[in-house]
Amino acid sequence: MPAKVSQKKNPKRNPLGKVFAGNIGALAVGLKYFFDPNRITLLYPHEYIKLNKGYRGFIVLIKEKCISCSSCARICPAAAMRMLSVKVYNEKLKKYMIKKYPVINYNRCIFCGLCVDVCPTEALYHVPYHDIVYENMNDMILSLEDFQKEPENIEFKEGIPVKYYFDERRGLVKTPYMEELEKRNEKEEKNQKVEGEGEKGAG
Amino acid sequence: MNPCYYACYIVYKVIVYDIIFYPPVYQFLIIPGLITAIIIAIFIIWFERKAAAYVQMRYGPWEIAPKIGGAIQLLADLTRYAMQEIITPQTVDTLQYLLAPIVMVVLALLPLEAVPLTSVKPYFPIPSGYSLLVAVAFTTLSPLFITMMGWASNNKFSITGSVRESFMITSYELISVLGLLTAAAMTRSYDLVKIVNLQMSGKWLGLINPIALFVVFIAVLMSTSGFPFEIPESESELVAGPFTEYSGLLYGLNMGGAYIRRWVFSILITLVFLGGWAPYRPTPGVITGYFVPSLIVSLKAVVIMGIMSFLRSVYGRYRLDQALGIAWEILIPLALLAFGIGLTEAYFGII
Amino acid sequence: MEAGTISSGSGIHLPGMEIAKASKNRYEVMIGPAHPGSGHMRIFVEVDGDIMVKVDPDIGFVHRTMEKLAEGREWIQNIPLFERIAILDACNITLPYVRAVEKLLGIEAPERARYLRTLLCEINRVASHLYGMGIFGVFLGHSTLYMWGFGDREVFIDLAERLTGARLTHTYPVFGGVRRDIPDDFPEDARKATRYMRKRLNEYAKIFLNNPNIRSRLENVGVLTKNQAAELGLVGPNIRASGIRYDVRLNEPYEAYGDVDFEIPVFEEGDSLARAWARVEEVRQSLNIIDQVVTWLEKHPRENFMHEKFWKTAPKLYKDVYEGKISYSPKYRIKLMPIFASLKVPPGKSFARVEAGRGEIVYYVESNGDIFPYRVRVVSPSFRNVIAFKYVMPGHRLMDLPAIYGSFDYFPPAFDR
Repeated sequence: MPAKVSQKKNPKRNPLGKVFAGNIGALAVGLKYFFDPNRITLLYPHEYIKLNKGYRGFIVLIKEKCISCSSCARICPAAAMRMLSVKVYNEKLKKYMIKKYPVINYNRCIFCGLCVDVCPTEALYHVPYHDIVYENMNDMILSLEDFQKEPENIEFKEGIPVKYYFDERRGLVKTPYMEELEKRNEKEEKNQKVEGEGEKGAG
Repeated sequence: MNPCYYACYIVYKVIVYDIIFYPPVYQFLIIPGLITAIIIAIFIIWFERKAAAYVQMRYGPWEIAPKIGGAIQLLADLTRYAMQEIITPQTVDTLQYLLAPIVMVVLALLPLEAVPLTSVKPYFPIPSGYSLLVAVAFTTLSPLFITMMGWASNNKFSITGSVRESFMITSYELISVLGLLTAAAMTRSYDLVKIVNLQMSGKWLGLINPIALFVVFIAVLMSTSGFPFEIPESESELVAGPFTEYSGLLYGLNMGGAYIRRWVFSILITLVFLGGWAPYRPTPGVITGYFVPSLIVSLKAVVIMGIMSFLRSVYGRYRLDQALGIAWEILIPLALLAFGIGLTEAYFGII
Repeated sequence: MEAGTISSGSGIHLPGMEIAKASKNRYEVMIGPAHPGSGHMRIFVEVDGDIMVKVDPDIGFVHRTMEKLAEGREWIQNIPLFERIAILDACNITLPYVRAVEKLLGIEAPERARYLRTLLCEINRVASHLYGMGIFGVFLGHSTLYMWGFGDREVFIDLAERLTGARLTHTYPVFGGVRRDIPDDFPEDARKATRYMRKRLNEYAKIFLNNPNIRSRLENVGVLTKNQAAELGLVGPNIRASGIRYDVRLNEPYEAYGDVDFEIPVFEEGDSLARAWARVEEVRQSLNIIDQVVTWLEKHPRENFMHEKFWKTAPKLYKDVYEGKISYSPKYRIKLMPIFASLKVPPGKSFARVEAGRGEIVYYVESNGDIFPYRVRVVSPSFRNVIAFKYVMPGHRLMDLPAIYGSFDYFPPAFDR
């Protein structure tokens, strides 16, 4: 069924009644939110959003699955992926071969995800965070070893993870993500216990 | 007695009784004068930002002192204004440019010299026979200097802003004067002490004649750039109106000057319409006779300023000719109506 | 080129420059690019007292030569480029490009892909209208509407992030289909979001559109008559508020718009208040469309999301990724065949148009048979709406300029490209 056109008019203006009612209505809405506020601001960096798995964040390479087809470097819209020629010793053929692996330049990457989607062996994947800090521009051109590691995020150690849930009355509601907090607390306790035992054993 | 203690005692008496609690000095500088005005301006700007944030789905000032809701954020702002360099452009009229904000703030505080804050006799700044008339007259002095600021700045946006302010002056002054003098019609005298004493029994003039209170409230909003009449310094149309070329402490004075004028008007509204220092009866003595009534008046004035600040989050800005239309077509007839109601009530002996 | 005023003693005199003496009563105000209320463009205004006499928009500050850049990039690399014309409705802006190239390739997107594209188009339309209303509020001094517009837009950006993986730069439609399918918990979240937004629209009306303060600022201001709108060639909700019944979804239904049930609101007064109401009513209709599309997507099986040409020869790994069997990648991701990296489109010319949030956007694509396009021409909706300033604003007071500017919902990067 195609769309229909519906003719509408501006709401009529009745000088006396609407002025009074309009002001009272606006003030009532203002007072309602003054006494029952609904705040959605994220207090970064004290809190951070725990993004779900499909988020297009930083990109990581799995070297064993790469077959050097260069599709990712060819499709990158910003010319951020380049192929690097590396000499690799092949066990079966018993000689050195040149294989190409991708390296990335985060100065240019726009996180469109086309490289991850086009890779035929699923050798690239996204990590679900995006707030990494580098100190100078040269650090943002990653080497092949760095490209295989997930970048380290300081927020995960210091901030409180939150998640935004949809709610009918309030839109988005911010709640702390308890499972992640508990996992982090357990890891810290385990680390402290191991260090304590190490000291006792040494001393 | 030890002569050293005796000298200290004399010095203490002179400083406290003759300098600090000397009424003209106390009312101009301490409560409700300059120091209180600055503290209240800091508090009210924080309250305005916080109230707007509550309505607008965000936190407002939070980062500096999270436990008390970021209340000392404004101290940081004030320190920054105080330490910024005052840049005087070459194309301005230097003397008027530098003097206009200072004179505006000084004249804004002048009505406080004329209002009595207690009914105990030695603590009147001027003889209180005609205090209402003198105070209302003094409130009309300071807006002229906003026009002077815009003219001296030599900038298209400043001139547009100050011309708009001069248009507004012609409309709100009549309303505020008529509204405040309704009290004189109702109580048959210009004496503020007598007006407050008549309200001691619970018959506040604001409850008996609410139209007058409403009219004066709107007139104060128009006079001090409160939403919805924030026309001279409309931020998204003219960059900052008459205050565009100012930086540093002069800019802080300009921004605070609007709040100081609002504070002075709130004190007048409290004394006239909201019972002043009722239900407290002052007894002779410095603390109970002067300090406590002035605190009560200040607290009531803060409530009025809070209501004016809350309107920021609900209303937009009127156009200039619409604001003048409202003033001349709606508010002046209402003010005359309030005056008439006041006269009728005085005739029938309600107050 | 004419110069308005010239002060005695200024020495610059370029060849071809006409010097006109300014008349005595005219005062020239330049609402320039470095102004809190102008966006990235300059408006020359000549004022006579308080009435504006001549208004001249000066555009070109954000020109990024996108059409020329497109000639040096491959076909699929142009999709993220063209998104940045108006990043707010990213799907609406890139959809005509994808449709034009699909016409040249001779394929058509299958059914589920059409519904998915419609879903994202409508989510982006709601977000774009809320942005426009927010900027409108800030021009009028009403900071609450600004914060509410952006805060409620966050709900829809979050929905878009669940669907595509990025908040604003979706890059969602590709030739032959889309890139992802909806997650499992998406339909309930979408329904909660639409119910919330319907309630909020009533509150917007109470605090903004029916507020006597704002209403007296907007009523009978910037009246655009029906004939004027047709002569100037404007597009979008601006002309639907003046009585012209034109909408690309009505005249030439594309994607799934022929199958869903919705209305197109048309107002007749043509002033700023009608334009604001037209946007609010369009948001309401978009919420209806989102509900219907999500119900359809939930009921029908997950198949037919990508055209056969690009999916028939896919290896088993691609189908595993779609069903979520790989542990480190999310479910329902559609992988692209490596042929996308160097696609060769058969030669030809084609047009496509789509109703974006601000109006109708038209693409003309010409191909030589190469891996780069030969010519892409974009006619964006804001570009066609700029001329309205020159004819609607004179005769109004200077303080009406923000009211009219905000009601036309400009986006300077869109018309500078």
